Amino acid sequence: MPGAVRPAPSTRNHSVDHGLRSESPIDEMPGPPRRGALENASLVPSRGPIASYDTATTTLPTLRRGSQLHETERRLNAVLNNASVAIFLMDDRQHCVYMNRAAELLTGFSLTEVLARDCPLHDIVHHTYPDGRPFPLHECAIDRAFPENNQERGEEVFVHKDGHFYPVGFTASPIRDDGAKIIGTIIEVRDITEEKAAAERQRLLTNELNHRVKNTLATVQSIAAQTFRSRTDQVARAVFDARMVALSNTHNVLTAENWESAGLRSVVESALAPHALAEIDTARFDLVGPDTRLHPKVAVTLALALHELMTNAAKYGALSVPEGRVAVHWTLTRIGAGEQLDMTWTETGGPAVTEPTRRGFGSRLIERQLPMEFDGTAVIAYPPTGVVCTLKIPLTTLGWHGRDVVLGRDAR
Amino acid sequence: MSDLEGRRVLLVEDESLVAMLGEDMLLDLGCEVTVAMRLEKALALARNEAFDMAILDVNLGETVSYPIADVLFERCIPFIFATGYGTSGIAPTYNAIPVMQKPYQLGQMATLLKHLLNCETLVRKGGAPGTGVSCTCALTPGRTGPTAIRID
Repeated sequence: MPGAVRPAPSTRNHSVDHGLRSESPIDEMPGPPRRGALENASLVPSRGPIASYDTATTTLPTLRRGSQLHETERRLNAVLNNASVAIFLMDDRQHCVYMNRAAELLTGFSLTEVLARDCPLHDIVHHTYPDGRPFPLHECAIDRAFPENNQERGEEVFVHKDGHFYPVGFTASPIRDDGAKIIGTIIEVRDITEEKAAAERQRLLTNELNHRVKNTLATVQSIAAQTFRSRTDQVARAVFDARMVALSNTHNVLTAENWESAGLRSVVESALAPHALAEIDTARFDLVGPDTRLHPKVAVTLALALHELMTNAAKYGALSVPEGRVAVHWTLTRIGAGEQLDMTWTETGGPAVTEPTRRGFGSRLIERQLPMEFDGTAVIAYPPTGVVCTLKIPLTTLGWHGRDVVLGRDAR
Repeated sequence: MSDLEGRRVLLVEDESLVAMLGEDMLLDLGCEVTVAMRLEKALALARNEAFDMAILDVNLGETVSYPIADVLFERCIPFIFATGYGTSGIAPTYNAIPVMQKPYQLGQMATLLKHLLNCETLVRKGGAPGTGVSCTCALTPGRTGPTAIRID
């Protein structure tokens, strides 16, 4: 309906600030049972006896036909009874004074049954922990949510009328009277059984993926070991093993983050650590730069590039002598929706450097593949003082820069 | 001497190390190789450069290589897909295209590329395996660009 809910004309002494207030004057109705403050404050849909609820359809009490509020009430009933989320209205004693149709379906109880029990809703739908222990009201997070904050959220496990447990997500907010005094709670509850199951399947799949990736790497390593058995291949095998380990270490970082993204700093540190369980040697490496999130592909290629630089430094460069040092400095510059990573690898204190006559795997990976993969640039310079490698990697070019930007990214 | 000698091949592969391997294999087969690792660059190359054939990795990270396949169809440049998923990983529209299984193997690559050069027909988009469209550029190395297509 296009028209907003109109406030009732204030010709009568009834305000409609909560929208749920019955217009029915008290003196026209049979005397209701006076109970919690919520009902006294006229917030409860029913001012009449409980029996006046039409619990078959869980409607708000019928208002006089033709009244200004009749239309409002009809709309509210339509909203509440067609909402797929369960809605409970609680008084200040945590008794449920209203629940919509979704709430009846969720709990298995009708509103009539809940009202007839005349006890806190907790004791009806939340009385037992999944392990079978009794669940007293004072331990209940939903009860603690009452009555301070708006939209207190959480997850709990409810007990259905038929005895089975089901996980729910809830949002609880206080209801205030005209004087801002809290007189009740409105609680929305969703069955999250499916979400829980999906999250569990996701977790199992990720674990399986991690397991298989690791096993595949180990298998490849074993095949290589069996293939290059002769003595002459030993050097090649050592280099191969080190590269496999570098790849595997990066996968450790990604595994820890569920393959969503990896922290730049942890990628750098794990690439430059001598082995998976060792810390980076801070006496030799000077790492300076802010942390950020990296796409898994950037993480893997960057780690392999750093591994190659480190291997080269250990063999010919600064790390081949005790006094040599390596500075890895980087900055992040905002470009568009993402950032550009500028990283410099600078070796000092090593033997005098001469430009190599032949380019190997490392320089091919860094100078050719890395720019092509990420639309960036990479230069390795060989001044006599030590190797300097300069990398520029736009972290936006994959249309992906960590989890946050993924969510906000324009669809392509 | 391989009849792949001197053929210009576009290799589209988004994983650095795999691209390196594919490039080396194609060079070993005597091909001239142009590597593209990103969709936009591959599209630009497929539209504007001369190729005898192409190898397309299906899955390019966040996207797939089908738009490149469509450009190659238009230009009558024969190509194969490369994937680790097997034929079930290819959209049905393209199921007439030969598929090279990953990991790359030199023998498989050579066989499929020679098949592209020697087969009489160029597969048609949406066609079933084995159906095809005669296309002279599939037989004539070096010719690229729009060519009259005669449907059998």
